[in-house]
This record gives sequence, C-alpha cells and structure tokens, in this order.
Amino acid sequence: MAPWMASGLIYASGLALTAGSITLLYITTRTFNFAVASMATWGFMLAYTGVSLYGGTPYVYLPLVFIAGSLLGLIAYYGLNRHLLRRNAAEITLMMSTLGYDLILLSIVQMFADYLTLTYKLYPRRVMLSAHDFQLFGERAAAFILPVIAIGLLVALHIFLTKTKFGIAMRATIENPVLAGASGINPDRVYMISWVISGGMSAIGGAAMAMAITGTPVMGMNTIPLMFAGAILGGLHSLYGGILGGFMIGLTEYAGVFYLSREIGPWIQGYRMGIPLILMAATLLLFPRGLAGIPWAKLFGNLFSRKRGDN
Amino acid sequence: MSAVAKTERKAPRLIGIRELVLLAIIIALLSFFIFSGREKTIWAIVFEFSIFAIITLSLNLETGFTGIPQFGRVAAVITGAFAVGALPGRLMAYIIGEPWGAEYANAVFNYRIVPVINELLASNIFYSIGFLLLCLFTAAVFGAAIGWLISRPAIRLKEAYLGISLLAFGDFFMWVGHNWNIMVGGSTPINVPDPFRIFGGDRFMAAVLVLFFIAIVIYIYLERLTKSPFGRNLKMIRDNEVSASAAGLDVVKVRTRSLVIGSAIAAMGGGLYVIYTGSIGAIGFQKLTFTFWPWAYMMLGGIGSNFGVLMGVMLLVILKTMIIVFRYDWFAFMVNVGIDPMWLEFTLMGAVIVLVILFVPHGLVPEKVEPVLPEERVKRVLAKRQLEKTSEPVS
Amino acid sequence: MLRIRNLNSGYGKLQVLYNLDIDVPTKGLTVVVGPNGAGKTTLLCSIMGIARVFSGDILYEDKSIAGKLTHTLAQKGISYVPQMGNVFAELSVLDNLQMAGYLSKKEDAKAKAEQMTEIFPVLKKFIHRKAGTLSGGERRMLAIAMGLMKDPKLMLLDELSTDLAPIIAEKVMMEVSRLRDELGITILMVEQMAKRALEIGDTAYLLVSGEVRYTGKADELLNEPELCSMYLGIKQADDKGSSFTLSATDEGSDQG
Repeated sequence: MAPWMASGLIYASGLALTAGSITLLYITTRTFNFAVASMATWGFMLAYTGVSLYGGTPYVYLPLVFIAGSLLGLIAYYGLNRHLLRRNAAEITLMMSTLGYDLILLSIVQMFADYLTLTYKLYPRRVMLSAHDFQLFGERAAAFILPVIAIGLLVALHIFLTKTKFGIAMRATIENPVLAGASGINPDRVYMISWVISGGMSAIGGAAMAMAITGTPVMGMNTIPLMFAGAILGGLHSLYGGILGGFMIGLTEYAGVFYLSREIGPWIQGYRMGIPLILMAATLLLFPRGLAGIPWAKLFGNLFSRKRGDN
Repeated sequence: MSAVAKTERKAPRLIGIRELVLLAIIIALLSFFIFSGREKTIWAIVFEFSIFAIITLSLNLETGFTGIPQFGRVAAVITGAFAVGALPGRLMAYIIGEPWGAEYANAVFNYRIVPVINELLASNIFYSIGFLLLCLFTAAVFGAAIGWLISRPAIRLKEAYLGISLLAFGDFFMWVGHNWNIMVGGSTPINVPDPFRIFGGDRFMAAVLVLFFIAIVIYIYLERLTKSPFGRNLKMIRDNEVSASAAGLDVVKVRTRSLVIGSAIAAMGGGLYVIYTGSIGAIGFQKLTFTFWPWAYMMLGGIGSNFGVLMGVMLLVILKTMIIVFRYDWFAFMVNVGIDPMWLEFTLMGAVIVLVILFVPHGLVPEKVEPVLPEERVKRVLAKRQLEKTSEPVS
Repeated sequence: MLRIRNLNSGYGKLQVLYNLDIDVPTKGLTVVVGPNGAGKTTLLCSIMGIARVFSGDILYEDKSIAGKLTHTLAQKGISYVPQMGNVFAELSVLDNLQMAGYLSKKEDAKAKAEQMTEIFPVLKKFIHRKAGTLSGGERRMLAIAMGLMKDPKLMLLDELSTDLAPIIAEKVMMEVSRLRDELGITILMVEQMAKRALEIGDTAYLLVSGEVRYTGKADELLNEPELCSMYLGIKQADDKGSSFTLSATDEGSDQG
C-alpha cells in the first residue's frame, strides 16, 4: 500500500458514511442535515469514551455508536423535522432547523468533554483514536475493517431497499409521497426510519474518521464542508452516488496531498482542503447534478440502458 | 384575496407595538448590567452589536431579500479582514520607508513597524480619518470583488448546492489565510495600524462610537436600498424567479448586484473588526461566529426585515454576553462538575434557531408586506380619477 | 357512502373550491365533469387529505374525514388513482402492485397481484420492468390495477381516459362500469371524456370554476344542450357519429 492509502481509506470510509447519511436523509425528507457534524462527533466521542474507560478496540463500540446516532436522529425527527415536514416547510428552513439542532448537540458534546476531563482525567480535545487499533498485514487494521464496514452497510442498505417490503415502501415514498400515502404507506414511519439509519451511519462515520484524523469536539464541525462536498459530488439524488462521492473526496484529499507535497513542496499541506473542493467545483461546473447526474447511459451508448420512452 | 385586502387595511406605521416592546426589553436587559455594576460591559455589547449588525444586515440583503442561501458569509468577512490587515498598513509602511513586502507580515518586523505607523497616525486627526476611510474602502473593494466571484457559480447552481458550496469555500478561505504567511502572518497574529490611537485612553469608547455610527449609516443605506425599485426587484426574484424574468428583469444582473453590495458590506464589517481589535489572526474567523451566528440573529429578528435584524442582533448579543459575564454566578452547578458554562452560548444559539423556526417562523419583527405606493397616495389617485369621472359628463 | 357538505378547499392560501355539496351513493358511479381548471382534481385531493380543507365537511360512512392524513384514509378503504404520477416509475411493475397492496397481508397481496395480471395481461408481460418504461396506456392499466389491489370500498378515479388511445379508453370505461356492476364498488370518477362517462354514470355533477353548476342524473345532463356545448365540448349535432368526443383542451393543465 502506498503510504497515503491506509489513512486515506480510513478517512474516506468515514466521509462516505457521513456523505451517504446526508444523501439518504435528503432524498427521503428533503432535509440537508447539518446535524451530521455533531452526530459524527458524538460517534467519535462515545467510541473514545468506551475505549479509554473499558478498553478494547474501537470496533467493539461501533454497535453502541450506531444506536446512539439513531437516538439522536430520532430526537431530531420527533422534536423538529416532523413538525416542519407536516408544515411543508421550505428546504432552507429544514436545513436551518438542523443547524440549530447541531449547535445544541455541539454544546452538549463540549460539556461532555469538560466532564470527562474533570471526572475521568481524560483529555478528549486531542485524541488519536488509531492508537487503540491493532495491526493487520503490516497495516493498521482500520484500513481494512472500515472500508468493509462502509461497503457492508451500503450493501445491507441496498438489500433493505430493494428486497424488503418496507424498504420498497421507502423508495416508493421517496419517489411519490402522495401516491405512497394513498397506498396506505405511512410517510411518518418512512421518515422516522431514514432518520434512524442516517443518524446511525453518521455516528459510525464520525468514529471511523477519528481513526485517521485528530479527534476533537469540533471534528464534525470542521469536516462538515467535506461531508457535504461528498454528498454534492454524488449528486444528492442517489444514495450510491453519495457514498461514492464521499469515498472520492476522501481519497483525492489524501492522494492529492501526498503526491503534490512530493512534487511541489510540503507547504501544500495547509491547503489540503482545497483539493477535494476543486474536484467538487470541477464536477459541478461540468455536471451541475453531480456524479449521479452524469449521463452514463449516453456516454456508453445503449450498452447498459434498456430504457424505453422515459416519459 | 383576503391577503390583499389585509395589506390594504393595515396602515403602515413607522414603529409598532411589537418594536416598542422589544426596545423596552433590550433597555431593561441593558440596565440590568448597570445595576449589577458592570457598565463597562455595555461598551463591549455595543461593539459586538455594531460589527454583527453590519454583517447580519448584509446577510439579510442576500438571503432575506434576494433569496440566496448565503452559508459562506464568513468568506466575505475574511476577505475584508485580510484586505485591511494586509494592505493599508503596507501602504503606510511603504510611505514611511519601512519594509513592506513579505517582512511586513512577519511578526518580528510587524511588531516594530506598526507602532511607528500608529505614532504617525496619532499625530494628526486627518491622517487617522484618512486611514480609517482607506481601510473601509479597501475592504469594500475586495469584498465587492469576492461577491462578484461568488456570483458566477451562484447563477449556475441551485439552492442547496449553492449554499453548501459557499459553506465549503468559506472554510477554505480561512485555511488560506491561516497558511499563507506572507499575507497576514498565517498562524501568528499580526498587528494592524490603529486609527483610533489619537483618542489615547478613550480609544475603545471612541472606536465603539464610530463603529456604532457606521452600523447605523449602513442600516439607513440598506433600508433605503431595499425600499427602492431595486429592492422590489430583489423581492420579486426571491418570491418567483421565473415570473420576475418573465416581467423583463435581468435576474443574473440583479442577483450579482445584490451579492456584490452584500459582500462589500460584510467585508467592511470584517475590516472594522480587525481595526477595533488591532490585530488579525486568520483562525479567529470561524464559520461558527461569522456565518452561523449571523444566521441565528437574522432568523430571530425576522428574515427580510432590516429593523428586525437590528433587534435580533441586539437581543442575542446581550444574552450571549450575559452567559459569559455571569457564568460563575449563575451556572455554578456546571462549574462544579468541570463544565465551562461558556458552551451555553452554543446551546442558546441552537435553541434560538430551533424555537424560532418552530414557533415564530417569521421572526420577532416580521417583514412587512408593503404596497408599492403609500396608502394616502393611492387614495389621492383614486379621488382624482373619481373627480375626473364625475366632471366628464358636465364638460 | 360519501357526503360532502359546504366544502371550501384549496392549496396553501389559494382557494379552489367554493361551497361544494356532493353525494356519492353506495354502489353507484358518480361522475364529476367540467372544463379545465374547474377544480375536479382538487375535489379528489381534498377528499384524500392532500389539498387543504378550509371549511365544510366530508363524511365517509357517516364519519368526518376532512383533514385526515392520506394514509389513514387508505386504511379505511378509499382508493385513489391520480391522473399524474399514478405509478412509481422507479419500481418494477410487480413492486408497484405490491406497494398498492401494502396494507394487505403478503400472501393476499401476492394472490391479488396474480389476479391483476390476469385482468390486465399486458402487465404480466412486463412484470419485472420498471414502471417508468411502460407506455402511457400500459401505465394507466397499471394504475387502475393498483387502485384495485386495495379491495376498495370507494374508488376515486382521476381522468382515466387521458393518454389513452380511443379504443383503450373505451375498454377502460367498460372496465369501470364492470367494477360497479360486478364488484359493487362505489366510484367517484372525474372525467374529461365527458360524454362516455355520463353515459355509464349514475349521478353527475358539473363543476365550473370551483362551483357545482348541475346536479342530477348523469344521462339527463346530456340532454342539457347549453351546458354540454358550453362546458363539456359536446355538440349535439354530430353526437351520433362518434362516442368519443374528447373536449378540445389540454390534459394536465387542470392540476391546480
């Protein structure tokens, strides 16, 4: 593995999960979830707390992290999003409401960090979670485990959405809420479940990300532009696009920094955030609807598409 | 139908009961500081109010009146701050023959050069005023440029895509400032010449008063701008872009103008912040403070209402300051378990956003639906027509 | 079965329907006709809880359902076939049928879907295709099949005949009258193809600009030459030639 690849893969897995969770929530509820930032931070914080208080590897705590993220999602849905969706609020209003929720979560995570410091003498403001990792094939295990988790979750989600009755109902609601309602599908349940899944995904994503970068209480706040960039790169309308976008953003950043600093000089490190942003900007300029908006079928002729009379 | 009838009946009042109640609350809160013996804090409040009123008003122009989801407010603010931190001081250094190149941004040189410039500025009131105006001008020019740059993708991208792109580039700007040492010192804060040095010991009060004055001037300017035909064009585009362009409006041009003006004003806010604090450190320009806080202020005050924005900024700045000032008196129970009550500031902002959206979606002072012509003038025109009609058969 | 009293409704602040009184008798076929923009679709949307009811009442089996959420109405046995967006384009035909039978048990839904493919053989051919790839007529078939999947007590049909070739439209109309006669389903139908609909219908309402202009027996409305030619585009003179006198208006502009 190239030196950048291990960290790059870990980081990209985290971004893929968070970007995927943003996309999932957007296609179901039209909500751009800012709160992913603090949900991710909570995911990291809980994994860190578990590891430092009870030992073990961070992976042991991932189920707990998922449940915690789901709970945060549930609170957001029942406390906030549900009322706004009923009111048919504008997209910007939905987005702002999650920003408010994010700030509340951020303040609580900060207080929790303070509490950990005084009570347990932990210092969660500068955490290298990877110190608790083990070695596998001469690399950090996370470089293998986390991408597998990310892709595994995606596959599970794919099976859920295509093979189960409720999953198909979710897709039906995403496409046509009115008709779905008229078929007796309760949209409330669909929205609730997507908050649960997306909350869990972002919490795991945060824990994953903290295996590659320094974990702090503002980790989510600092990386949220990149999570969104991943979702946007993916086109916002396809879950798979979102996850792919997250992976691409993460990998380009690490690969770009590695090769550019070798070619141009180490000063490029400071501008690392620019690399994925340029990728995003270039994609958006060429394809304003992101990766999922690229007319793949047109590019490859009729090889893959068997569509007939789309409308 | 009924909505139209309602606006006709409502007489446009200059100041309503709602506004009076808000003012009373603000005055009561301010006097609380006086009674608890912390009058000095009021100066800090007025300073923060002035800066954030400028920034939030500019946000309100772009978001409230034009409908652009400006989640990258911090970008324009940073531009203004960097411009003021980097350029006017260099010009002065050049004039007095000190090093003005990359060395200016080096803390070792900078800490020696700036006091020399300060001395020069303090020697003559006109130098001081001139320097302040130069700073404002520089900030506005660079802000306008960045606004124009932002407006290019803003024409192409849709709502959410635009908002997120702006957010990302706002962050990127901060990292550029943080790493590009030769501009404003990167991670080491550098000093900025101080045009208020001439007031000596009263420097901070004088600066606060000047800032407050500038904020009020900008408020009046924006109030007039948004009431002008241009302001109506903005609202038209916000409410329905398609029908606005069908009515013959050049949507791209109007939007660009709004972004340019808004960014120039926000940049002035950033520049003034730097001048007041006397130093610039790029890392201090976080999106939390300079994008999300203004959004909270605007939402509380009322999107699309300039006066509401002033009220929103004032109220939240006071509450925020109260948390900071009284944290050890009021929140001792938190301190006891090691929690710094400073974080309550975030809770407050978040809670305000959430509660406003849920319960007062139009803010404390909602945007008024104003008829194009004042009621009296409509009446006069109608009366005139009536007169013409009745007089016709006679003649 | 369904009684609408003094209904005022619309979307957001915009009022579309004014003081509507409509009765849908059990096991009858009630037809609502009218020109574009009369509010026919809004009427169905108001019943289904999609449009906003400002005032008035909608009684279904003597219970008020005004302002109830859409999916709870589906649970009560009301089935709605919208004019536009009446299939899930991204789902396969089979999934579409299964979603339509969301409320029934899995085995029941399977059997029912089987039955539907027998009624509409064209669906069987495309059962694993995405519904978005079907032609207009095939989609409409699917939509009706989806409406029937629910074993409805009351069916709301919105402009079934648009998009369809006249021959298929005729078939669909026959199908609708069969639903009433053989399955005993109460039907409220909104229709552009006014003449044919009035021929098979029992009761008719003429809706113009959000108000009821005519109430009575369906075939009697056809004997009102003035109303027919003014609002329905039915000319009495050449009436014997063809039974499909589609009104010369666009479909779809009626949405709102």
